[in-house]
Amino acid sequence: MRLRRPCADTAVRATMSAHEPRRGGELVVDGLRVAYEPGVPVVDGIDLAVPAGTLTALLGPSGCGKTTVLKVVAGLLTAGAGEVSVDGIALDTTPAERRPVGMVFQKPLLFGHLTVGDNVAFGLRMRGVGRAARRRRVAEMLELVGLPELAGRRVGELSGGQEQRVALARALVLDPRVLLLDEPFSALDAELRHRMRELVRRVQRELSITMLFVTHDQQEAVDLADAVVLMLGGRIEGVGSPSSFYTDPPTLAAARFFGSTNEIPGTVTGSAFTCPLGELQLDHPGPDGPGVLVVRPEAVRLLGADGPPNTVTTTVRETRFRGTHRTVVTVADGGTMVLTATVAPAVPVEAGDRVHLQLPPSACRVLPTAAPRIVTTTENEDARA
Amino acid sequence: MSTVPRGLRITLLLAPALLVVVGLFGGGLAQAVAQSLGYQPFLPGRELSLDAYRALWADPAVRASIGITLRVALISTAAAAVLGTAAALLVRSLGRHRRRFAALLQVTLPLPHAVAALAMILLLGQSGALSRVAAALGLVEDPSGFPALTQDGFGWGIIASYVWKEAPFVAVVVLAALSSGVAELEDAARALGANAAQRMRHVLAPVLAPAVAAASVLVFAFTLGSYEVPFLLGRPFPATLPVVAYQQFRDPDLSARPLAMAIAVVTALLVGACVVAYLSLSERLRR
Amino acid sequence: MRRGAGAGLLAVGLLAPLVPLLLWAVAGEFRYPALLPTFSGRGLALLGDAAVRSAVGTSVLIASSVAVLATLAGAAAGRALGLYAFRGRRAVQLLLLAPVLVPTLAVTLGIQVFFIRYGLTDTVAGVVLVQLIPTVPYASLVMASSFASFDPDVEDAGRVLGAGPLRRLRHVTLPAVAPGLAVAALFAFLISWSEYILTLLIGGGTVQTLPLLLFASIGSADLAAAAALSLVIAAPPLLLVGLTARFLTGDRAAVVGFGRL
Repeated sequence: MRLRRPCADTAVRATMSAHEPRRGGELVVDGLRVAYEPGVPVVDGIDLAVPAGTLTALLGPSGCGKTTVLKVVAGLLTAGAGEVSVDGIALDTTPAERRPVGMVFQKPLLFGHLTVGDNVAFGLRMRGVGRAARRRRVAEMLELVGLPELAGRRVGELSGGQEQRVALARALVLDPRVLLLDEPFSALDAELRHRMRELVRRVQRELSITMLFVTHDQQEAVDLADAVVLMLGGRIEGVGSPSSFYTDPPTLAAARFFGSTNEIPGTVTGSAFTCPLGELQLDHPGPDGPGVLVVRPEAVRLLGADGPPNTVTTTVRETRFRGTHRTVVTVADGGTMVLTATVAPAVPVEAGDRVHLQLPPSACRVLPTAAPRIVTTTENEDARA
Repeated sequence: MSTVPRGLRITLLLAPALLVVVGLFGGGLAQAVAQSLGYQPFLPGRELSLDAYRALWADPAVRASIGITLRVALISTAAAAVLGTAAALLVRSLGRHRRRFAALLQVTLPLPHAVAALAMILLLGQSGALSRVAAALGLVEDPSGFPALTQDGFGWGIIASYVWKEAPFVAVVVLAALSSGVAELEDAARALGANAAQRMRHVLAPVLAPAVAAASVLVFAFTLGSYEVPFLLGRPFPATLPVVAYQQFRDPDLSARPLAMAIAVVTALLVGACVVAYLSLSERLRR
Repeated sequence: MRRGAGAGLLAVGLLAPLVPLLLWAVAGEFRYPALLPTFSGRGLALLGDAAVRSAVGTSVLIASSVAVLATLAGAAAGRALGLYAFRGRRAVQLLLLAPVLVPTLAVTLGIQVFFIRYGLTDTVAGVVLVQLIPTVPYASLVMASSFASFDPDVEDAGRVLGAGPLRRLRHVTLPAVAPGLAVAALFAFLISWSEYILTLLIGGGTVQTLPLLLFASIGSADLAAAAALSLVIAAPPLLLVGLTARFLTGDRAAVVGFGRL
């Protein structure tokens, strides 16, 4: 221990003295499969790549297996099959404590018997870094997360938001090539959560660190991430930029996960879509055959008169004031098909009004009818977390 | 209920328990002290004196008895703490069989100490099961060839009986402390680069120390002050303090009473001193 | 592999000492250096004796009375300690801790004279009373921890829904603290069930409980009888703890009770 100390010390000092901290590494997960009980996979064939220096959100409902993926990457859980690598170096035989991977957990998990500073210094101490270097680095990290004065505090005196900032500083102090965050802000209130997101985003940019951020909150994923990986029932449902999940969802389930959408079943023939509303035009026709047309309420336009293509005459059933906008729920003429649109709050619509809704051809997507897949939603993911 | 004023309500709620603790326990303790000084309830007064304590200090039998009492209590407590903690960590690492072994730990816990003592007589005694196994292996020829582990001068039998009962107690307390999210803390330490030994030293030890210490204080207090096991497994001389106290108390000669009481008071003081030491130590460690 | 060996060692260490006890309970001829006895039902047959049967009755009566009284006193004190922050609360807690730690024998020697004076020696009532000393403080501490996690606002909720004091107690408060009550009663019962020296001091040998019979048979060196009697004494605690193990493992306040057994 004593012998190793000087060289470990210089190694850390070398990374610290460089003005530009080294960039994060590229994380690749390939063919990951995990089953807690034989034959019941919690994670079933996950492939994902997080480019160096970017932030990817791993999004999914609770119990979809996302925490399991994170724990396998951290080395805290052994996968049944698959490979995890950072910068092309496979980590499968590397124990968690020697992986170049840091992790911030859902709970702060601070060590109650240590001060804030000693918590942040913990990883350095494990590596045998000397006291003076530790103190310097701790001060740097606490400064980075906006808690410069708190090194001497007991962890019991911190607020929830401060605790997670200390946990973040504690993980960053080791200069990990990849930082994993497992819903770190889910226990905080909305306002604080928002500020913490900005902190993570700022830290990520400043350090150009590679981050994989697990969340069940699509708003959080969209706010933070360069790329979103949507996971449902132990599998990847779609990968893309945050906006693509709104404009061009990969599957019906993905479209539904990103909030309410209009769903119209029908059949594609060329660039036309035949459905109970009549024949609609498509700018992005898929393959011919049955499918579900989805169009987001915010893309639907409220018109004064019939005219442009894909306009449907409807009767307003109810309107709901939502603060920043108004949701208009309508029933299409000659049927029971419900169409929803969002409009500016000041738009004067009331229940009973006759309105014309346009479903712009560019905003319509036809997705395959969801094949009824058996989704194993296991609640024990959280229990094991 | 809500019409009763708050202070009175609290007093009424506490009354029965305090009656027992203050009246019976506190009164008993006070009486033990008073009678050790020569006071005799319901009998004509006598001069109070410290004679009993002087006699106690001068009596080599009592001094020997303090020795064996402390020896047995310290060794039993240390062995129970070490073995119990090890057993708890072992049980925790067993994965699928964890529950079954945790249940196994509870087998000796509810057994009365007298039953445990009898089990030790039958196991460790010179004609007990171990001695018979030794004979079957040709190691000894008759009971007298087997080392005296019960009714011995050192107190091995007493220690064995206490450890058999109290190590699982420590284990159960430690397991309760381990169940509250320690595994997550260890994961966090792992992600920060702590290897198995470092996790033991920097995460497990600080978390478990208070639980082990608290359990040890209870074990120590019990092994110091209880009567049954040393009576059954020890020698009449030198016997542990509670046994001597009772012997003196039963003495038809009432003049032995103050000595019996003095021994009881000394026993209580020993326990009290250890508890106070523990409390102040844990208080200081918390700072 | 090493884990397996450790687990094996643990199981042997815990269970092996019971084997000679079980063998002796059914032993006829068991002379040194025989490893196994000849079978005989003599020891077990002794359990049908009038003395044993009456001791079982006395033990059950005393232990049940102690369990009920200690749990009632403990529940009341526990409610005060768990729900109210009052001056002297810490002092009361320490006061309650003292009898858990300080040997009961020491204090009982001091009050025995008073039990004689007020005619409580040689009576079941006297034995029950003295056994409240080690059990009431423990029950209070368990109930304090149980009430500490009880939200008294649900009593108000019950009240708003039209439940009077008795129905609130029966349908709101009791179900919430039931696990604590069960643990307190269980340990009070077990402590009393195993007690020897207090029973001897106050009961004076007239109140014959099972532990007194066991000591007598060990003293008379009838090992088969003693072993058989041990089984009778050991069975109820094992059964009770086995049935309530679910409540016991996680709760630290509850677990402490084992230290007194």
